[in-house]
Amino acid sequence: MTTSADFDQSAFVRALLDPELPPPNEVEASHGFAPKRRFAVYRNNVCVGLVDALAERFPICLQLVGDEFFRAMAQCYVRERLPRTPMRFEYGDAFPAFVSEFEPARELPYLPDVARLEYAVGQAYHAADAAPLPLDFLRALSHERLDNATAVLHPSTHVVASAYPIVSIWRRHMSDDEMTPVVLDHGEEALVVRPELAISVSPLPSGGSAFVDALRNGRTFGEAMNAATGVAAEFKLIDCLRELFLTGAFVAVSVAH
Amino acid sequence: MSDKKLCAAFAIAGAFATAVALAETAQAANDQEKCFGVSLKGKNDCAAGPGTSCAGTSKTNYQGDAWKYVPKGTCTSIVTPKGKGSLEPISH
Repeated sequence: MTTSADFDQSAFVRALLDPELPPPNEVEASHGFAPKRRFAVYRNNVCVGLVDALAERFPICLQLVGDEFFRAMAQCYVRERLPRTPMRFEYGDAFPAFVSEFEPARELPYLPDVARLEYAVGQAYHAADAAPLPLDFLRALSHERLDNATAVLHPSTHVVASAYPIVSIWRRHMSDDEMTPVVLDHGEEALVVRPELAISVSPLPSGGSAFVDALRNGRTFGEAMNAATGVAAEFKLIDCLRELFLTGAFVAVSVAH
Repeated sequence: MSDKKLCAAFAIAGAFATAVALAETAQAANDQEKCFGVSLKGKNDCAAGPGTSCAGTSKTNYQGDAWKYVPKGTCTSIVTPKGKGSLEPISH
């Protein structure tokens, strides 16, 4: 009997990923079946399972390129990168980067960023729960000096900035409206939050993702404001805050006295 | 404190007040409810069978365990080829 200690996992993985290779030596088939054919079934199941996981994780990318293209692309990713953790929802973390290097997908330059957005949506879905600050609390805060205040963001808060209108593309594919074309002449910064049970994906004004990232890193509102105007001189603070308030992105704001 | 810093302090507090007012207006206009059984395939906002990763994963049109946000009070009056919308999951 083979124990896990002397079982050569790397040889097993190599055989798992390369259909040309024979099954690993340790593999036996019961009832006199040929191990080669049995292992081919196992290899196929692993691959199909992971491709299915990616298809569920990136449903808008799948819609954008079609089932056949997506599954072929996902299969290449699976061969290159097996899961690093047993949690299937974490699979696909490197998929957006893979898509950006995937030659046949170059025709759709926005695809990697849509994949980034979809990964953020999945992360937000599985993030910890927290109670967003109510609007009444935020209104009372406006009597304070806020330039030195810091914030705690909802654990599900993610931002994805793109040179393409990724929020419009995402929404267009999530809505029943099949007719409105998405114009690709502008970039969008996506805010993803899941304050309760439902995911919210909405656009932030230019510089908004820099603003959110600064707050996430413990910077004050004044510093975050500078970070945002550094990226986009015309940064609209009011629009940005409105979106963050509306989506429940703040769970705490501490005012320094 | 410099004048410039003082201005920034007021600007941020002012933006907070305005943004809260705008958020309240948007929230009031955006009163929605979850409606089961009305979304087209792949267009659900959330929930579509056990183990799926949620939004955009429903497999069929008007799937009973997938929901979509609709304006409050309209869900049960939506008629699909598979029947009416429901505030609870339905099994077709």
